[in-house]
Amino acid sequence: MHLLVSPRKYSQTINFPIVLRVVGWLLMIESVFMLAPLVVAIVYGEEWIVLDFSIAVVVTFLAGLFMNYRIKPKSKTMRKREGLLLTATVWVFFSIFGMIPFLLSGTVTGFTDGFFETMSGFTTTGASVIYNVEALPRGVLFWRSMMQWIGGMGIILFTLAVLPMLNYKGGVSLFNSEVTGITHERMRPRVSQTAKSLWMIYVVFTVVLASLLMLGPMDWYDAICHTMSTVSTGGFSTKNNGLHFWHDYYSDIVIMLFMLLCGINFTIIYNVVVRGKFSELKRSDTLKWYLFIVLFGAIIVFARISHMGFVDSWHFGAILAAFDTISAITSTGFATYDYEHEGQFIFFFLILLMFFGGMAGSTAGGAKIDRFVVLLKNVKNEMYKVVHSNAVTTVRLDGKSVPHMIVEKVLAFLSVYVVVMIVVAVVLTQFGMPAFDALFNSLSAISNIGFGYGEMTGGPDKFASLPSLCKWLLAFEMLVGRLEIFTVLALFTPSFWKKD
Amino acid sequence: MRIVIAGAGEVGTHLAKMLSFEEQDIIVIDNDEKKLYNLDNYNLMTVRGSAVSLDVLKNVQVGMADIFIAVTPHETINVIACSMAKSMGCKKAVARIDNYEFMKPASKKFFASYGIDTLIYPEYLAAREVMTAMEHTWARSWFEMLNGELIVAGVKIRENARILGHKLKELSGLSSFMHINAIKRNREIIIPGGDDEILANDIIYVATTPRNVDDVVAACGKETHTAERVLIMGGNEIVKQLAMAIKDKYKVKILDSDLERCQKLADELPYCNIVYYEAGNNDVLEEEGVEDYDVFVAMGDSSESNILSCVMAKELGMRKTVAQVENLQFINEAESLNIGTIINKKLIASSTIFQMMIDADTDNAKCLALADAEVAELEVAAGAKVTKAKVKDLKLSRDMTIAGLVRNGEGQLVTGDTQLQAGDRVVIFCLSGAIHKIERMFG
Repeated sequence: MHLLVSPRKYSQTINFPIVLRVVGWLLMIESVFMLAPLVVAIVYGEEWIVLDFSIAVVVTFLAGLFMNYRIKPKSKTMRKREGLLLTATVWVFFSIFGMIPFLLSGTVTGFTDGFFETMSGFTTTGASVIYNVEALPRGVLFWRSMMQWIGGMGIILFTLAVLPMLNYKGGVSLFNSEVTGITHERMRPRVSQTAKSLWMIYVVFTVVLASLLMLGPMDWYDAICHTMSTVSTGGFSTKNNGLHFWHDYYSDIVIMLFMLLCGINFTIIYNVVVRGKFSELKRSDTLKWYLFIVLFGAIIVFARISHMGFVDSWHFGAILAAFDTISAITSTGFATYDYEHEGQFIFFFLILLMFFGGMAGSTAGGAKIDRFVVLLKNVKNEMYKVVHSNAVTTVRLDGKSVPHMIVEKVLAFLSVYVVVMIVVAVVLTQFGMPAFDALFNSLSAISNIGFGYGEMTGGPDKFASLPSLCKWLLAFEMLVGRLEIFTVLALFTPSFWKKD
Repeated sequence: MRIVIAGAGEVGTHLAKMLSFEEQDIIVIDNDEKKLYNLDNYNLMTVRGSAVSLDVLKNVQVGMADIFIAVTPHETINVIACSMAKSMGCKKAVARIDNYEFMKPASKKFFASYGIDTLIYPEYLAAREVMTAMEHTWARSWFEMLNGELIVAGVKIRENARILGHKLKELSGLSSFMHINAIKRNREIIIPGGDDEILANDIIYVATTPRNVDDVVAACGKETHTAERVLIMGGNEIVKQLAMAIKDKYKVKILDSDLERCQKLADELPYCNIVYYEAGNNDVLEEEGVEDYDVFVAMGDSSESNILSCVMAKELGMRKTVAQVENLQFINEAESLNIGTIINKKLIASSTIFQMMIDADTDNAKCLALADAEVAELEVAAGAKVTKAKVKDLKLSRDMTIAGLVRNGEGQLVTGDTQLQAGDRVVIFCLSGAIHKIERMFG
């Protein structure tokens, strides 16, 4: 071993080779995931897509292998910039390779639609350009649901949990940029252990829900597909009418409960279930807010439904109200009833819930209730200061004061969130979409919900008839929302690329 | 190993970062969210709360911890926190203290009864290190391992060294009395192989036995001289400990720019000369006759001014300088600026913890930390991997080397042909981040 000062170790130059090399690794993992739909296709004897999936698996694997072996980074250092770049680009790479089976099997036509569909899948949005899903082969639909399952807990997080290679200092910034929430709580000392625990809870939920659904009218295939889009709060279905197809209270209620559960911070679930600390339930302000908002929302929607009288029985109305409220707030986006004919009130009301979404550290999307609570308490303090101008106040969350630095971050986050949402909506109106529809669709994308509304996206065509530019824009917005804004938007600031 | 650290101050933060780098499970407790926020990008978990809260300790599952380390700024809190942690079931408890009385052997039993296994008193240990530096003025660092049977010394190589410009494989004649463990050059430290060459301004870390020290001194082109007079700048706790310990052997003069502190020192240390100087008086070293002293020790509050005054003293003809450098990132710079010995409280504290990590059950292990490497000693267990083959066939990982061993009470160096046996006590030189591998090899 010779003494050499390794090249550019102390430079701010972005280390692209190492980023690409890790992406290569992750693509190889994706190809392994793709084996699952391949198996489904074989089991159901869908020979014509077996080849498509085989090609996708091989191409993805070889691409990953190539990136991994042919790219030889001079230095292995990975700092903040490389971490952010990796987290953001990995989702794009996954989408590009994930759409191969769609394109080969003719499920979607064109790169734009393919990218939109896969990005919508991985970000657990659930917006679709496919009109008739029932006509699709089961392997393809399985892959669609599976993408949501992978993206729900996170690609990087999965890697941190199962592979030791990201488990060094750089892995921590990756963890921080993929996990949602204000402070990225860790429940165990090492990031890899935290990632393992999170994935463990996720897998347990998946297994339990799938078993429960199989007891109902669904067969194993539909049960697993719906399970994967429920626990990830994604919202892809295997039927054109979604859950309507079965018309079954049991399945609806089970799915509803799991959506509710997956909108809760997984750290709380871990502490309660694994460590038996029930005091966590009491301590958490955000959990109370979350449950309260769900209840309150359900009552309002129920009142509206009853008032309008467009359902026959009160218990159907109650389930409908609860289901749709939860589906909206957790950003799942399973649609049950077409409210559009009944006026805009319910949709408009659901927007409020969708904006903030579930709790931080859950699989739900949105700006997160935690931020809402911080915002609310901060506003309360400011109101108090109007009268008592010298008052010294603090924002408390879960019984602990939140440092000003973090409050500022939350406020900045929320402002940018709204700005992105509105800017995209403005562009959408340019393509002839009415203002309210544009705003709704934009929110639906950034909060990873997947509802469509209005003539251009709410109809049977879903998002298919949108102009290409709109699709790209919405796909981009989904990624921005999934990675909680700053991770992606930072890449578009000059200071990210400049040496300063 | 699960390690809970209470207190995210300088020492706590350093320990947390380093132990996390050694792939241990680290949980840090502190009251101050801001301090914890600084640790956000490290692979560890932080918990906000008081170190002496039962709830907090329960929350971090201190009962499952292998080591509990209390390094808050308050001695009393540290002691109580350790006591609580121990009663809740943690295996070992370490408290940082700042009271010399507690270090006395008589106190040990008292603290043991409270459940505290080890006390860390960084200022006291630092003073001891300065003393060692004053006794061995030719070396950058000096570690006596295996009860003094083996010495590991850091030496700066200058133009006059005999070994300069040679590759290690050409220096086989030296192997009877010295073994070069590591070479530090331009901020990088490596474990060298036969093809590596020794250049001017390298710092080499050599292992040797006490009777061969003179040969090493000669080979490195150094000379020994005995120090008698010490000039100290700054009057902190380390200096107080130091002055008390060396009062019989050395003549000590202490300079400080704080009048009140000078008065206090004068009250407590009647056998030293205390001199007050006005801050910014750059001539103070000349006025106080710097040339008449053998050793200059800079122990001020700022690392920068310690480094600079050592450089200045060196220019004025001082042979040996010692500087306290608390900013870890300055240590490399200070080393290249020809400062004789660098003292850092955090490194000293971390060596104690490493010691416990290598060998949690016994007090046999010893570990000393450099800025980017550690020197550890421990006993080879029966059936350990390293006893299976000769050292050259062991395939030791590249970040560690065996410096020497004691067998039958006698220290000896290790060559490629040495075969380790169970019961040997060995000294290992390993680069940072590798210490957790030791147990796998030797345990």
